[in-house]
Amino acid sequence: MMHRRSFLSVCAAALAACSKPAKIRLALNWKPDPQFGGFYAAPYDKHGSDVEILPGGAGTPTVQMIGAGSAEFGIVSADELVVARSRGNDVVALFAVFQNCPQGIMAHASRHLDSIGDVLKEGTLAIQRGLPYARILEKKYGFDHVKVVPSPGGDISAFLRDEKFAQQCFVMSEPLQARHAGVDVKVFPVADIGYNPYTTVLATSGAQLKSNPDRAQAMVATVREGWRTYLDDPKPTNSHMHDLNPSMDAAAFAEVAEAQKSYIETGILGSMTADRWTTLIAQLAELGDIPQGIPAQDCFRTL
Amino acid sequence: MDLSIDAGEFLAVLGPSGCGKSTLLRMIARLSAIDAGRIVTEPEQFETAFVFQDAHLLPWRTVLDNAALPLELMGVGREDRHARARAKLTQVGLADAEARYPAQLSGGMRMRVSLARALVTEPRLLLMDEPFAALDEITRFNLEVQLRDLWQRRGMTVIFVTHSISEAAFLANRAVVLARRGGKIRLDRHIDLPPQRTNDLRSDSRLGYEMKLLMSAMEEE
Amino acid sequence: MKKVLPPLIPFVVITLVLEWMVRSGVVAGYLVPAPSAVLRALFDSRDELAAAMAKTSSAALIGFALSTLTGIAIAVLLSSSRAVQRAFYPYAVFFQTVPIIAIAPLLVIWFGYGMKTVIASAFIVSIFPVIANTLTGLLSTDPALRDLFRLYGASPAVTLVKLRFPAALPQILTGLRVASGLAVIGAIVGEFIGGQGLGSVVDVARTQQRVDKVFAAVLLASVLGLALFGLINLISALTLRRWHASEATME
Repeated sequence: MMHRRSFLSVCAAALAACSKPAKIRLALNWKPDPQFGGFYAAPYDKHGSDVEILPGGAGTPTVQMIGAGSAEFGIVSADELVVARSRGNDVVALFAVFQNCPQGIMAHASRHLDSIGDVLKEGTLAIQRGLPYARILEKKYGFDHVKVVPSPGGDISAFLRDEKFAQQCFVMSEPLQARHAGVDVKVFPVADIGYNPYTTVLATSGAQLKSNPDRAQAMVATVREGWRTYLDDPKPTNSHMHDLNPSMDAAAFAEVAEAQKSYIETGILGSMTADRWTTLIAQLAELGDIPQGIPAQDCFRTL
Repeated sequence: MDLSIDAGEFLAVLGPSGCGKSTLLRMIARLSAIDAGRIVTEPEQFETAFVFQDAHLLPWRTVLDNAALPLELMGVGREDRHARARAKLTQVGLADAEARYPAQLSGGMRMRVSLARALVTEPRLLLMDEPFAALDEITRFNLEVQLRDLWQRRGMTVIFVTHSISEAAFLANRAVVLARRGGKIRLDRHIDLPPQRTNDLRSDSRLGYEMKLLMSAMEEE
Repeated sequence: MKKVLPPLIPFVVITLVLEWMVRSGVVAGYLVPAPSAVLRALFDSRDELAAAMAKTSSAALIGFALSTLTGIAIAVLLSSSRAVQRAFYPYAVFFQTVPIIAIAPLLVIWFGYGMKTVIASAFIVSIFPVIANTLTGLLSTDPALRDLFRLYGASPAVTLVKLRFPAALPQILTGLRVASGLAVIGAIVGEFIGGQGLGSVVDVARTQQRVDKVFAAVLLASVLGLALFGLINLISALTLRRWHASEATME
């Protein structure tokens, strides 16, 4: 009896000593900028996690990285998560930063356009054609009268040069840049056509959730704290992110951080509802991007 | 050096490596610049041909087009230059090979094309820089006989640079041996052998005697 | 048959192994598509892919033709004098080192969205091997042959046309072999930015997580590269057949 108890206690002590924080990789789908502020502000060390944030860029395949296991967590958009699930990639959403989709189309204000449909009547539109909302626009209004070209990924030089040039944007990002460059813009949020997926969503794989439920829970709690901190005072985190991404100046960081607040802070930070997922799934099924509906419950977890 | 060559001579130039015999030849051909001294010719200008150690044929041209090259570069018309090239090829015994490409020929055959090419402009002076050095002995022997024969029939002047004492003695009616450096002439000798040279001569003691003289001049240092 | 069979066998084996790996779940189908899925995508999107392939092919071909002509011309110029070479060759090297991804947006500024940008991209990426190989070929002329030409009074122009250029042909063709594949790559990159052809198909399919379609487009791009390469090989065989060791058959 005595032997077994002491053996067990030795094992317990050994286990405790062995549970050093395993390296956690969080893959971003763009360069460090205010949309990831809370993730950079999060106090991972305080919760005993060793988290490495991997900055991304154009085309970083975060959904695939999560599926392949090259990152434990990643930032995805809700629609690409749904599509991934339909292809057999068990990705699960945990925390949605943008409660409302901040994507939109920006056009020169001097064109005096009234609606998104007007943008498509002439000129050029730079948009990622593979995105669901691009195809919703095509279905609804047709691309027959507008020249569609690939999105220049955050670069507005083509936009500035050509009055008839419109491009996809993050509502609080490229338009601000354009205004600074002296061009007044009109922004048409994608949400206006009824397409409003959660954006900048923290996700992980179903396998990770099963094998490490505590870790996922800790991650969500920590990230929520981080976003609270960032929303209250973005300056120190902005400074850190600016060092990592000098292509955006400090003033822009501050401006965007302020402008994005209304998209983020609508209630409990990061929360998601089954209804929103259901709507999204139905829209994607109608587009033909996914073969049929998938259960909304499987797409997200509230931890 | 002070060297005087008569028209119609077959002059062999011997000497150790680096003595300048190839350079001398190139200067006569006006391919290399002259630093000091003069080369005077009588008449001033005439057809000169050069044969190198390697046949240096254009591999993408047929034997016929190779042999006709000098005439082509001088602007001679196609029919004419082909006819003249054909004649020379026949003279060197390659009449059947005119449609072949250099890659399909043996070393000896390629050298004969090179020879035909050299002769196609009816040169009065033929400069040869160790042309047979890379060939096997039997081929070399036969080409030497052929060359000597051509020289006798055409009456041109030949200056033949070589490493080989036996070749110099066999081919030439006059041989000079150059010193290792400084361009000095160690020996200038009229080769005392019959004008008709055949392969039988190779075992003749008179050839051996000439060779001995040349050799001692070469070794004298 | 003897030439076609050996490379086919590993291809068939790998395809079968891959098919099995995806079906049995060893490899996730959303990361690497099963060959059968790629085939299905090829069939389902055949019209779109055919149109895209036509666009990419013409851009790559035109870009390649331009880089061949311009590259050879530049090399001829550089070979004319040592001074010219020293002054301008470093700029030719620039074509090799410039990262096309970085300057592609500049190309859009100058040539707009469309075919011209794609051709420009194919041109820039493929021209350097043509210049480098042609130059090497032109400078490696047998000095004895140059002497021969000089002896018979040939002008530099005649020497270039009748001696230096034919002599350089094997080297030039080597350069073209390399450039042909690069022209396809350049075209695809240009299409990512300029928006058409197979490059655009890859970009859009990638956004839609259609790995099967991505692979189908990539496969077609490879076929295009192979076709161009084969064309150069054919030209090489025809022109060098009778005289160059590289194409010689045992007689």
